[in-house]
Amino acid sequence: MKRTNFYLILAALVLCAGPAMFAAAKVGESAPDFTATASNGKTFRLADYRGKYVVLEWHNNGCPYVGKHYRSGNMQRLQKEWTAKGVVWFTILSSAPGQQGYVTAGEENSYLAKMQAAPTAALLDPTGEIGHLYDAKTSPQMVVINPLGVVIYDGAIDDKPTTDLSDVPGATNYVSLALEQSMAGKQVQTSATRPYGCSVKYGDSSH
Amino acid sequence: MRRQNPNADHLRVLIVGVALLLCAASAQAAATPIPHGTLEFIAENQWIAPGHTLNLGLHFQLEKGWHVYWVNPGDSGEPPRLTWHLPPGITVGPMEWPTPRRLGTATIADFGYEDAVTLIVPIHAAATLPAKQPVQLTADVKVLVCREMCIPGKAQISLTLPIKHQAAPSDTRTSNLFAAARESLPQPAPGNWKFSLTDTKDSFVLSANIGRQITQAVFFPVAESQIDNAAQQKLAPKPAGFQLTLRKSDQLLNPIERLKGVLVLSADQSYAIDVPVSKPRAAQISEDVEIQLAQFASNRYRTLKEESQK
Repeated sequence: MKRTNFYLILAALVLCAGPAMFAAAKVGESAPDFTATASNGKTFRLADYRGKYVVLEWHNNGCPYVGKHYRSGNMQRLQKEWTAKGVVWFTILSSAPGQQGYVTAGEENSYLAKMQAAPTAALLDPTGEIGHLYDAKTSPQMVVINPLGVVIYDGAIDDKPTTDLSDVPGATNYVSLALEQSMAGKQVQTSATRPYGCSVKYGDSSH
Repeated sequence: MRRQNPNADHLRVLIVGVALLLCAASAQAAATPIPHGTLEFIAENQWIAPGHTLNLGLHFQLEKGWHVYWVNPGDSGEPPRLTWHLPPGITVGPMEWPTPRRLGTATIADFGYEDAVTLIVPIHAAATLPAKQPVQLTADVKVLVCREMCIPGKAQISLTLPIKHQAAPSDTRTSNLFAAARESLPQPAPGNWKFSLTDTKDSFVLSANIGRQITQAVFFPVAESQIDNAAQQKLAPKPAGFQLTLRKSDQLLNPIERLKGVLVLSADQSYAIDVPVSKPRAAQISEDVEIQLAQFASNRYRTLKEESQK
């Protein structure tokens, strides 16, 4: 009798937790954990970085919106600035094989060197598993996770949804704002925006 | 007198002919190339009449499979953006956007147009506009053209129109394009159609009472980040309309006051709607009123029953 009740409660809890476990990341909620292989061959697990701020940057080297931030040097500058302050920066490549932005580990390493990019690591996600876990829609979509493992920002890199290099200098950078405000113990004022850019080229892309 | 060379006559005819052709070509603006397509201005009327409005069309012709975006591009992309260069006395009104199509994949929903589209822009001419010289209407256009990949394009397009102080007849060369553009614009919803919108925790529920049962409906939001673009819109047909459940966008952190957009009921029936969100407090009041009415009715019934038993 007691045992039956226990199982019923357990079943109810499992059912409750079920959808939440598979739901996409949301601002104010725990960042879903993942393990991925980086272009440098190392394995990275998000949960290992509790206690640190983590930035996730969705990348596609053929996307003109991504191009704006790399050709202007803006992305590299952000990567250098924040990793120097102890932030972990993961560039994530969710393009499926055959799609725009899909690269091998070697090709990504050459790109990082050529662009003088400085993320902590570039994570290869050709199955789109991490992308779907975070419901990443675009490149360059950006996610900021606080040391408690909670998503504090999800959306666009800045407030200028264009491909123009000339829009970079005057833009308000939402990633820097979120990190600055959170590090100062303040509430992140703009915590979710429309993540402008090119659609993430998942394997299920059909056209 | 020297006899004229007959070849020179031919040459003269040829020169005049070429000049005439060039003249005709300049009256109709040539299409400007953009990535995987062309863009041109078209005018609905033959000239600008001071004190009146002329409709200008921004006509995109795209290669098969390529698209440009609606005013709300959806999950990715961006709409065409115009920077105008206009002479004094000429102002532009808000652009009219034809009903978009849902593009993209199961998890990423974009809103835009494939093949060809004409965006209509009303041009107002001041009554004081002098009718001396033709005016040149110019715009710098930034446009993102996408298929599996996206290519940003820039073009400067221009159209020169005469000014005349008399009603401007329509230009027969563009009337078909304007007719097609008008047909694809969302219509105002009929006045007797009633819409309401309730804000539940994760969704907005759009209820429509339009006097007939509706079994298919799709809503396109004008503003970004209100509803989840890719989420399935759940339709519940009702005897006199429908209820459509729209999942909220994850980016929507604050309550909204209105939901504005285009409601598509079939390929040739789309309507511009702007529905205020029912206030939860108002809903509570109406519930309270219902309870009070029910209590009143039951008390009244009891009283009547007691009276009849006396």
